[in-house]
Amino acid sequence: MIGVVPAVLLGLVIACALATAVLRDVLAAIIAFAAYSLGIAMIWVLLQAPDVGLTEAAVGAGVTTVLFLLTIAKTVRPPGDDIFESLDPTGLLVAVLIVGVLASTLGALPPVGSAETPVAQSQVTDYYLNNAYEQTHVKNAVTAVLAAYRGFDTMGEAVVVFAAGVGLLVVLGREVFA
Amino acid sequence: MIDVLAAGPVDLLATRSYYAGTFLLLGIGAYVVIASPNLVKKVIGMNIFQTGIFLFFIASAYVEGAQSPIVGPKAVGPFVSPLPHVLILTAIVVGVSLTAVALGLIVRIYNEYGTLEADVLQEVRTDD
Repeated sequence: MIGVVPAVLLGLVIACALATAVLRDVLAAIIAFAAYSLGIAMIWVLLQAPDVGLTEAAVGAGVTTVLFLLTIAKTVRPPGDDIFESLDPTGLLVAVLIVGVLASTLGALPPVGSAETPVAQSQVTDYYLNNAYEQTHVKNAVTAVLAAYRGFDTMGEAVVVFAAGVGLLVVLGREVFA
Repeated sequence: MIDVLAAGPVDLLATRSYYAGTFLLLGIGAYVVIASPNLVKKVIGMNIFQTGIFLFFIASAYVEGAQSPIVGPKAVGPFVSPLPHVLILTAIVVGVSLTAVALGLIVRIYNEYGTLEADVLQEVRTDD
């Protein structure tokens, strides 16, 4: 059963996402999206994922917002005085279809927070929780898995960030620093 | 499945509201990507879609009454599963890289064509 605080936060997050969708001015949409990221960072904390919450607040609400703001500073905002975007029937149809098909699977999913979910019962989960401290001497199991058990995965992530940086410089034609 | 049907839709929503939220966010994200003519807003839509999937993962790891997975010798459980958290940490960073490259391409498109509206862009490109 969902509590009052998580329910309010979830409602706020969905409302912010809707505001992002309908606002025509890109600057307004970016501000609504930053509020959305902050709300979802708080949801991560309520779901006992403080590491994800920290990263989301710093990277999702912080860096991503700055990137969006830099982009509209270098380009244009949409012309015209309309506050809201006009409704697109094709997009609405696709969105309703996606939500409808996914919602039909809701009954087959385990209740959120139940101790009998496949994730909570998994041997992998038990192994990490029981052995992470002895094997890595790191108290935070998330850090232990990220840097030790799945270290190669994290190195791959670093390669992606490096490739993105190189790609960005090439796209913007700034690969030579004078 | 039978007790799920007996419980009714209200109970179904109350116990699985995070999953319902995921589905709504995926729908909103897909709508923005398809419907918005502005390229920057399409990237915002992509980000919403992405966080919808994150919500699914983190909600699936959650166990009511459990603590965040700080294990140590004196810690007493139950703990939530650390693995989905790790996967999503990686996904957040990869998502930002993706956003950065997409926005770089958008700046380049604006410098070349002077517009960010997808329909205008299509007209300009067919005229070339």
